[in-house]
Amino acid sequence: MTKVKIKRSILARLIPGVTSLTRKGPSGWMVILGTIIVSALVIMTVIAPWIAPYDPTKTSVGPIREPPSPQFPMGTTHLGQDMLSRILCGGSIMLQVSALSVLVCFLIGVPLGLFSSYVGGSFDKACSLVIDAVYAFPGLVIAIAISAMLGRGVVNMALSIAVVYIPSYFRVVRSQVLSIKELTYVEAARGIGAKWHAILFRYVFPNVIPSIVVVATINFADAILTAAGLTFIGLGVEIHIPDWGRDLTSGWEYLSSGAWWIITFPGLMVILLALGFTLIGEGLSELLNPKLQR
Amino acid sequence: MGLRSYIITRILLTIPTLLLLLSMVFLIMRVLPGDPVALHFEKKATPEQMESMRRALGMDEPLWTQYIEYLGGLVDIGYILEHGYPNLGKSMQTFEEVGGQIFSAFPATLELAFYSMIIASVIGILLGVISSKSYNSILDHLIRGVGTVTYAVPIFFLGIVFQLIFGVYLRWLPTGLRINPAVDAPATITGLYTVDSLLQGNLFKFFESSKALLLPSLTLGIILSGMFIRMTRTNMLETLRLDFVTAAKARGLKESTVTYGYALRNAFLPILTVMGLQFAILLGGAILTETTFSWPGLGRYIVDRINFRDYTAIQGAVVLFGLFVTFVSLVVDILYAYLDPRIRL
Amino acid sequence: MMEKIELSIVVLVLIGIIVSSGTMYYMTTVVSNVSEMKSDTSVLVESVTNLTSTVRDLATITGLIAETVGEYEEMMAALEAKLAAIEKMLAEKEKEVLIVGTTDSVEKTLDPAQAYDYFGWCILQQISGTLVSVKPGSETGADFVPNLAVSWNASDDLDVWDFTLRQGITFPDGTEFNATHVKYSLDRAIDLIPTIPEGAPAGLGYDAIINRTEVLDTYEVRFHLNNPFSPFLGILSCRASAIVNPAYAPIEEVEYQPGDPRDSTPVAFVGPYYLSKWERVAGRDIEIRLDRNPYYWNVTSEYPKTKTIIFRFYSKASTLRLAVEAGDVDMAFRHISSADVLDLEDDLDVEVWWGTGAFIQYLCFQERRAPFNDTRVRVAVTAALNRTAVCETVFLGLSDPLYSIIPPGMLGHTEAFQKLGDANYTLTTSLLAAAGYDANNKLEFDLWYESSGHYPMSAEQALIYKEALEDSGVITVTLRSADWAGYKQNRDDEIMDAYIYGWYPDYVDPDNYAFLYWAKWIHTNYYNETINGLPNPSYPAYLQQVVLYDEARATTNTTLREILYAQIDDIAVEQCSVVPIYVSTAWAVTGTNIYGIYLDITQDMRYWLIHIGE
Repeated sequence: MTKVKIKRSILARLIPGVTSLTRKGPSGWMVILGTIIVSALVIMTVIAPWIAPYDPTKTSVGPIREPPSPQFPMGTTHLGQDMLSRILCGGSIMLQVSALSVLVCFLIGVPLGLFSSYVGGSFDKACSLVIDAVYAFPGLVIAIAISAMLGRGVVNMALSIAVVYIPSYFRVVRSQVLSIKELTYVEAARGIGAKWHAILFRYVFPNVIPSIVVVATINFADAILTAAGLTFIGLGVEIHIPDWGRDLTSGWEYLSSGAWWIITFPGLMVILLALGFTLIGEGLSELLNPKLQR
Repeated sequence: MGLRSYIITRILLTIPTLLLLLSMVFLIMRVLPGDPVALHFEKKATPEQMESMRRALGMDEPLWTQYIEYLGGLVDIGYILEHGYPNLGKSMQTFEEVGGQIFSAFPATLELAFYSMIIASVIGILLGVISSKSYNSILDHLIRGVGTVTYAVPIFFLGIVFQLIFGVYLRWLPTGLRINPAVDAPATITGLYTVDSLLQGNLFKFFESSKALLLPSLTLGIILSGMFIRMTRTNMLETLRLDFVTAAKARGLKESTVTYGYALRNAFLPILTVMGLQFAILLGGAILTETTFSWPGLGRYIVDRINFRDYTAIQGAVVLFGLFVTFVSLVVDILYAYLDPRIRL
Repeated sequence: MMEKIELSIVVLVLIGIIVSSGTMYYMTTVVSNVSEMKSDTSVLVESVTNLTSTVRDLATITGLIAETVGEYEEMMAALEAKLAAIEKMLAEKEKEVLIVGTTDSVEKTLDPAQAYDYFGWCILQQISGTLVSVKPGSETGADFVPNLAVSWNASDDLDVWDFTLRQGITFPDGTEFNATHVKYSLDRAIDLIPTIPEGAPAGLGYDAIINRTEVLDTYEVRFHLNNPFSPFLGILSCRASAIVNPAYAPIEEVEYQPGDPRDSTPVAFVGPYYLSKWERVAGRDIEIRLDRNPYYWNVTSEYPKTKTIIFRFYSKASTLRLAVEAGDVDMAFRHISSADVLDLEDDLDVEVWWGTGAFIQYLCFQERRAPFNDTRVRVAVTAALNRTAVCETVFLGLSDPLYSIIPPGMLGHTEAFQKLGDANYTLTTSLLAAAGYDANNKLEFDLWYESSGHYPMSAEQALIYKEALEDSGVITVTLRSADWAGYKQNRDDEIMDAYIYGWYPDYVDPDNYAFLYWAKWIHTNYYNETINGLPNPSYPAYLQQVVLYDEARATTNTTLREILYAQIDDIAVEQCSVVPIYVSTAWAVTGTNIYGIYLDITQDMRYWLIHIGE
């Protein structure tokens, strides 16, 4: 009986049905808009190799630092590469890095948070202490250190970003679990002698899922921005891989000569991608927030 | 428990956190590839030269000894009294006192953080309140849109766009540094250029340093305000639905009193926590902003020093960062406990 | 529906913003007129504060339009007159102060026994004296002119060098400069090598070159060298050989602190300038100020030409360019990017000076393992390089392809590597075929570049090299990178297949370049007798080069030296262990009223020769 009730409640809260999203007001529209943006960018990145007019890495396909023109609608870089092709192909690194880091964060932060807060006591205190220390560490420094240690590449960037965000997952999960722990039906479950792992995964966890989903989408957006930041400091991927962050960074040097197009277009794309995820997260958090439901 | 015991507990808890932080920095630095000793020798070095440099940098001793020495240096009160800053060792690159370097760089970051926070909270809270009052109107959507978009903009991108418009095209504002190099910096009292120049009555320097401060703090402030807008809006919406607000309105109190006196004051608590969290984000964002605007603060100091594997300098800077974040969250927690007695239970 | 209170707040804030930005903009335009005058006279500051308070008064009375307009215009006229008078007075002072913009920073100290960074040497050169100097405008780097020594003589074996010193130079405390100070300085430099292992005397090997310094007479000094060494004048002209004042330079330590501008500098008062201000924050320079040294021996000939030099420190090349354009600095040497300097060429208010460069970059191959233990593979890859593409695309034509490890202008420069050609894919394919690689079995290797900005445009260079090599159709290149610290570590651990390195001269002599082909600290393993237990096929070639090298440094006969260095180059072409790629050009940008810029092969900017004219 309880299992069915819980499943329906998850479904009822998490997936109201796509069409009914529109009836949910502005929050619903935010989720839809966000999803459209993200899917569009993902599709664009996937089909980019087929639709890009030029090889994004090839140098001197056009004159150096040429402003947008009919032949090169987004201009060329300081090495004569076509900006449009680089824009089309440049999202893949960001998407890979953020997806991977969210996955790692999720796999480490959520179980740790669940377990630690459920068990409570000194184990919980110790965990919180360590997590707080990591939280107080300037994230970029950790990322720089890890990059210097492991070298460049998608996986290493993802790992360094993941380490920075695990504390957020931990804290959110922990605060949720602390309040859910005291709920009557959980107590009831304990009363009838359910084992701790059953309680954790069948009673507590499903209630935590909504907030985790929200955190995950915000995490996605943050990971994208952090990846861009890391590239800006000089820790991005190798130069021959087209990447929006890389163009942002190399374009910076040429501002003084007025080459605005090298940084503007990649910057707009990064904003768009991060915006997509943020919209989804924002919309979902409003939809799932019971205090706002009339 | 009473307020006092809560405060004491919280303070005591920060000590292990800081110790952990210190140890983490210490270890991470020494695991990094790249030898600070080798970096002193551009071209060639004999083994004797390397040994000599290793000794000069204190790296010939075992790791444990270095660790203990480092901790010991931090609590050396005599040194603090003599120099005005703690003993954080000597820079492994320039051999200058790290404590001195950090304390000369810190005011720059502080000034930036301070003004950014003011801008962020004023814009954020005001817009959040406006938005919540006109729920679901065009204005509300507009402000929410602004709040969401600012969250998605990379800090350095906004900074670069500002530099491009105001620094390169319009030439109104400088694109970097705390003050135009053609002007001498105001004499150091607090280290904050704006404050120092006002204290000395030098309006010219005040304007020059404000000009340089405007773009970076605007950048950081706008980015951070997004969070404030949304938090304020959400909390205000919740609070405005509560019974006591309806009761206040029913009693015939003015709208503004209800909004600011009753609702905002109650909604403010979570916003305060967010402010504390934002400070941590701010210090992290400071690294990027300082790099973009060539702001000679602690963030840029760290980025510089990593290239040189300057262990002592990075340790010192990270410890200061961590200390600050811990301190701010401590203050926020205590304030929260003071304002909301339920937390202390 | 907005409440009235929010509406009014918003409107007030908007009005406040408009009014204050308008006022500020006006003040800044007026104030920026004043700030054009680069001097720190207190009159200036006073008049500006008067100005700002006057303008503030003005702002408050703009409400009363009718009567106050007339007063307003009168006051503005008075202000303009005041400003014009100040401008005229400061313009006269302007010629005495030269403002130089840079993005560099002194690394540690200005003690010649320790300083080994470019900018430290730059400042040292303005405030110190050496026995001899390279003539300004020198193309070969070998024409030396008297500085603290008036004449010199070397023995036939080039291992005993005598110098006659200039007389009549006094320090501020009245002591006369003589040979004992020379001995003291050089002895100190050598004695401090064990304790200052990162200093220039250690790096240049002073202890290996100089056996002892002997004072023959009050103004006569003799150097006994360990081996014949023809570039000795070059060694004596570099900053590590600057003469120090024993009263301020203890023989057992370096006392000079970073940021400490003690006007009693450790380098004796024998340079054109002395250091009057040195501000440093968090390990970076904020301001350095040099003032004319009244005790300079050449002061009678009106050197230094400009009384005061002020260095202003920027942190980005693009900001520096903007500062040059705005006239905030009079000149900038180095640190302006290629793109910016080409833009500035079209600017009528800025003058661009071009000169010979001496910074080179080269490609190194790791011979410890496959594929580069095979000479054919190394030669094949070298032949596939496209130097022109790099120079044109990355450096916009502001660097030149280099076909010898010795840059143009210097004795011994050849075009040896042209023998292999550029993008010479036929040679590449045939050599690689002989080694067992073809289009179906491509040669694969990692090309490493440095990613933290230690060398200019490293990443872009690497991309161009990769493209050129892959265009041959038989090579696949994987790009890898590390920051400077990691890069050096990788170099020492010998894990990089092929890597790009750079070199900046200590002194201008082919002796300081030719050895790069086999320098042990590059870790190519080219110089080892055996590799992995088997005899190294390159070893005989290496031995030959060393013999030629030692012969070349033992003679001053330029024709002979040329032949010897050319032979070293030829062997290098056959071995392709270290391959020169490009040499950069040098440039400086100044205002149109600056004269006396010499951009010669030493890469030194002699600020005492610069003067401000019309």
